[in-house]
Amino acid sequence: MCSGARLVDSPGTASLSDSRHSASARLVTNPSVSNAALIGRMLGLGWRYRARCLLVIAQQMLRVVLQLAGLGMIGLGIDVLRSYVDPTATAPNWPLGIHPPASWSPLAVTATIAAGIALFSLAHAFVRFLAEVSKARLVERIVVDLRSRVYARLQRLSFRFFDANETGSLINRVSGDVQAVRMFVDGVMVQVTVVCLSLAVYLAYMLQIHAGLTLACLATTPLLWISAVVFSRMVRPEYMHNRTLVDKMILTLSENIQGVSVVKGFAREPEEIAKFRAATSDVRTQKHKIFWRLSVFQPGMAFLTNINLIVLLGYGGSLIIAGELRLGEGLFVFAGLLQQFASQVDQIVNITNRVQTSLTGAQRVFEVLDAPIEIQSAPDAIRLPRARGAVSFEDVSFAYRDDVPVLLNVSFSVEPGMCVALVGETGAGKTSLVNLIPRLYEVTAGAIKVDGIDIRRLHLDDLRRNVGVVFQESFLFSNTVAANIAFGHPDATREEIERAAQIACADRFIRDLPKGYDTVIGEYGANLSGGQRQRLAIARAVLLSPPILILDDATAAIDPQTEFEILQAMDAAMRGRTTFVIAHRLSTLRRANLIIVLDQGRVVQVGTHAELMADEGHYLQAAGLQQHAVHPGMSPPTARRISA
Amino acid sequence: MSNVSPASTLTRWQRLDEHDAPMRPLDLGLIRRLYEFTRPYAAKRNWLLLCVIVRSLQLPCLTWAIAAIIKGPISRGDSQGLMLGVAGFAALAISTQTVLHFRQRFALELGELVVHDLRNAIFAHLQRLPMAFFHKTKLGRIISRMTSDIENVRIGVQEVLFVSLVQLGQMAVAATFMLWYDPILFGMVLLLAPVLWGINRYFHRILSQAHRDVQESFSRVTATLAESVNGIRVTQGFVRQERNAEMFTELVADHATYNYTVNRTQGMFLPLLDLNSEVFLASLLLVGGYRVLTPEVGASIGDLVGFFFMANLFFTPIANLGTQYNQALTAMAGAERVFRLLDTEPAWSDPPDAIELPPIAGRVQFRRLTFGYEEGRPVLSEISFTAPPGESIALVGHTGSGKSSIINLVAKFYIPWSGDLLIDGIDIRQIRTDSLHRQIGIVLQQNFLFSGTVMDNIRLGKPDATDEEVIEAARRLDCLDLLMKLPDGLQTLVGERGGSLSLGQRQLVCFARAMLADPRILILDEATSSIDPITEARVQRALFRLLEGRTSFVVAHRLSTIRHADQVLVLDHGKIVERGTHDELIARDGTYAELYRNFSQASAA
Repeated sequence: MCSGARLVDSPGTASLSDSRHSASARLVTNPSVSNAALIGRMLGLGWRYRARCLLVIAQQMLRVVLQLAGLGMIGLGIDVLRSYVDPTATAPNWPLGIHPPASWSPLAVTATIAAGIALFSLAHAFVRFLAEVSKARLVERIVVDLRSRVYARLQRLSFRFFDANETGSLINRVSGDVQAVRMFVDGVMVQVTVVCLSLAVYLAYMLQIHAGLTLACLATTPLLWISAVVFSRMVRPEYMHNRTLVDKMILTLSENIQGVSVVKGFAREPEEIAKFRAATSDVRTQKHKIFWRLSVFQPGMAFLTNINLIVLLGYGGSLIIAGELRLGEGLFVFAGLLQQFASQVDQIVNITNRVQTSLTGAQRVFEVLDAPIEIQSAPDAIRLPRARGAVSFEDVSFAYRDDVPVLLNVSFSVEPGMCVALVGETGAGKTSLVNLIPRLYEVTAGAIKVDGIDIRRLHLDDLRRNVGVVFQESFLFSNTVAANIAFGHPDATREEIERAAQIACADRFIRDLPKGYDTVIGEYGANLSGGQRQRLAIARAVLLSPPILILDDATAAIDPQTEFEILQAMDAAMRGRTTFVIAHRLSTLRRANLIIVLDQGRVVQVGTHAELMADEGHYLQAAGLQQHAVHPGMSPPTARRISA
Repeated sequence: MSNVSPASTLTRWQRLDEHDAPMRPLDLGLIRRLYEFTRPYAAKRNWLLLCVIVRSLQLPCLTWAIAAIIKGPISRGDSQGLMLGVAGFAALAISTQTVLHFRQRFALELGELVVHDLRNAIFAHLQRLPMAFFHKTKLGRIISRMTSDIENVRIGVQEVLFVSLVQLGQMAVAATFMLWYDPILFGMVLLLAPVLWGINRYFHRILSQAHRDVQESFSRVTATLAESVNGIRVTQGFVRQERNAEMFTELVADHATYNYTVNRTQGMFLPLLDLNSEVFLASLLLVGGYRVLTPEVGASIGDLVGFFFMANLFFTPIANLGTQYNQALTAMAGAERVFRLLDTEPAWSDPPDAIELPPIAGRVQFRRLTFGYEEGRPVLSEISFTAPPGESIALVGHTGSGKSSIINLVAKFYIPWSGDLLIDGIDIRQIRTDSLHRQIGIVLQQNFLFSGTVMDNIRLGKPDATDEEVIEAARRLDCLDLLMKLPDGLQTLVGERGGSLSLGQRQLVCFARAMLADPRILILDEATSSIDPITEARVQRALFRLLEGRTSFVVAHRLSTIRHADQVLVLDHGKIVERGTHDELIARDGTYAELYRNFSQASAA
């Protein structure tokens, strides 16, 4: 095999991007970035939203206080009742020394307290609602800001960056990881403050009721906390392992379905069933392990909470008997407080887990935000609304990776309106060369000039608007046909769009689509063939009527009729522009004003078709014109597809 | 967002499928079917039910014990009784948590076992479905049956059923206790219950709509995001960065408002629920206080405190049950979809008296055969031709002319509407599909490889083949050297869908796979992607070796292949318009000659 894995020219395909991974463009999650630095940066992020954070904290604290007041009132109510029924019981402890007038009947006092409870409950519910709303506002604000920033950054990063990073990972950075960073603000920063403050409040309240009882009841708390942390550390790897097993199972399923014709064609159903069964059994067995741990841990935790109650009942009960504790404001309130306290301790476990998630997420988000925008306009960039179309390469070298040169000392110049064909084997550097013209990649050495101006000095947007590109893979967006053609000029009128489509020989098939120009591409039943997609890509480039046009022809063979039509489209599109075409077809080569033959990144021949045919050089071989030697019994060139 | 003109958005977003409704009313039939899946694990299931019953008694008992201790020893001032009571409470707590261990473990395990069996059942069922099913069903849809839908069923089995049972039991026992303590106070509790339930249902209904909105707007965000990353080259080439960034900010903000709605609704719902029980406690204090203070009633303060605890035990499950109920509806929707897939009848299957295909010579005959994928839209009409054993048939025509349909029929991926397809004179409908497939080799355009080694992939053609046989197959194709040149030779991992091999290498592996199976009939849909000239030559040579001596049907994209064929069938709109050898057809100067001219023009004009 002559060219190993490098068979496709498209810069987007996986096979090639491997060889283009560059140390600087690839996002490798770097473990050496210190957590402290990340946390510092996230604190900085939170500081931007300080007013909103403070509001949430204040409302949460008000909520805690109102809740405690309500609980205290119920306790008071019980004690008041008890003191009326059993005069020997400890007298109720009126808060803030406010006694009801002695003239009030017991029932009136009880009713007042009940009204107080109801009032506090109302206030509590209302403040809690407010706090939730403020928190939702905070979250919304951070997420929108961060997502927009990461997306805007992504839009401007260079092609090298996208060659080096997987789509899935980039998408996750905007969707999932941003949430993880946001969580640091509302789930860690705010929450830590709230938890600490409310634990302090609870503790103070309990201590004020009875110090000894408080200590006795809280004795198990550290144990509760430690075992929760230990447990979550222990099961996390198990869950991660489980996820890989599930992924493996899904892979078996999806391969089975995508390869259904192979499975059926070779009658492999029984083997496939056995393979899938093995995968599901792995998942099940591993899950059972997790279940065992889970169902030891949770009852264990529940029992620790029970111990608190046991202490409260035993110790607290004897204190009541000894007359040192009240039933309502003491025991009853204490039981309620213990419950609140335990739920706050649970929060701490959640928070520690969140910190871990946030750190990973933050690293991945900041990597994108910090990725350098390698290619951008210089501050004093020259504006060039419309170029004439002269292009020259002066000693241009280029490499994706420092050690592997892709183009070496390429020089040539092209007059406005000329058609240049690039010829060479896979990997010779044709696509790389054309990608340099609109500065999709930056030259490593030498200079490219448009209308005599170094493209690095031109305003980037102007340069790119002057160069129309038809990419090899003809990527289209899932939008209407019209919107796709108008991609570079969203305000184009329908007439302009149709004219572009006519030039690209696409108008006829578009009108045959179910909804014509308004057909949504990719919608069920409206999938386009390769040739149709390519013609839309040509129309998209032609709409802008650029003085310079780049046609990176797809190598995929389509049925002969379509191929003929694409050729016509390309011919029409080239008229009146400086065109660079990566040619696979003899007809194009014949028509070109200039043919540049590339071999391993060097220009080995330059000339017209006629000149080069006369020359015994690379051209004949690179253009596949001598292939008949390999194929006895076929008459070239008609029987051959020319694939360069 | 829906009113924005299409030109300024990046993607056209499509509504969620109606069939994917997130919830579905409780359905006894579905529940019974799920229950059937627990039958193999009846012992575990029955122990689990026992645990559930025990636990729904234990939980109220724990609370009752607290109340009893306060009411009894503490009120009486009996220290010794207090210690006894506390010891009893501790014992009860230990037994409760022990039962919890089993309750939880058995429920989790049972759910996982049911899921495991369901997954295998789905997979086995999928293997039975004919090609037409895969033609019209998207992969993502099948995967979500196997993941999210089954996941919802799992939660239904693991949690909803048993947690709800415990909670309902707990409520019933708590109600009994309260009734026993004080029927009048209990009457008040009963009055409040429907209010709580009403609030629950109201908010859950609003929330589930809001969640749906969030989900839909999020899928818009991710779809746009995916296209933005995939289409970044176009975006930058056409200078659309600014516009895309603005549009994305709008989209994200839109999504955030839906999220905000959910959070705000939730922020109203939960406090409102709690408010209810708090207001109840206030009124309980009032009414209970009245009853304690009125000597004629003579209620005890201990009973009142006990009542407070029990009321709590009665209320907590209500909020919980609301969530469980919602979860149950989700599980129903998941179960319905899973079972709908399991119930998909194969559009056709072998008749019971289908015969095992004896070793064949390889004669294939089409007799006035008509076929289509959708009713009323035939793709092939009245096709008749014969392929004698060992002959190579090239199929030529435009996209959609019916070439692929012919090979799909020979492979029995589909069956004809009318007319006959005979293999060695036997009607293909009467042949057992698996026995036919053992004598047919198939190489399709995608050159699909399974993740695994090159060796595994070739061996797929004959699972019991030895390593030597695999190597021999590659050698007979004269491509062994190319495969051995891979990093780990035949042990090279091909990666997901063969991603780490080049197109040419993938084709050769597929050829070797078919070679190893050594079929009498070979079906080949030639790959359209062209490869560099030298590899291409090797692939062509391997192809001719593979075709040698077999009846073959080739959807041809290369002239060399067409010229090599014994018979060329030119198809147009489902009819054979011309047939003959390449030279004959050129001489005839008809459709084929024109196709050929365009083609030549394209490559050489």
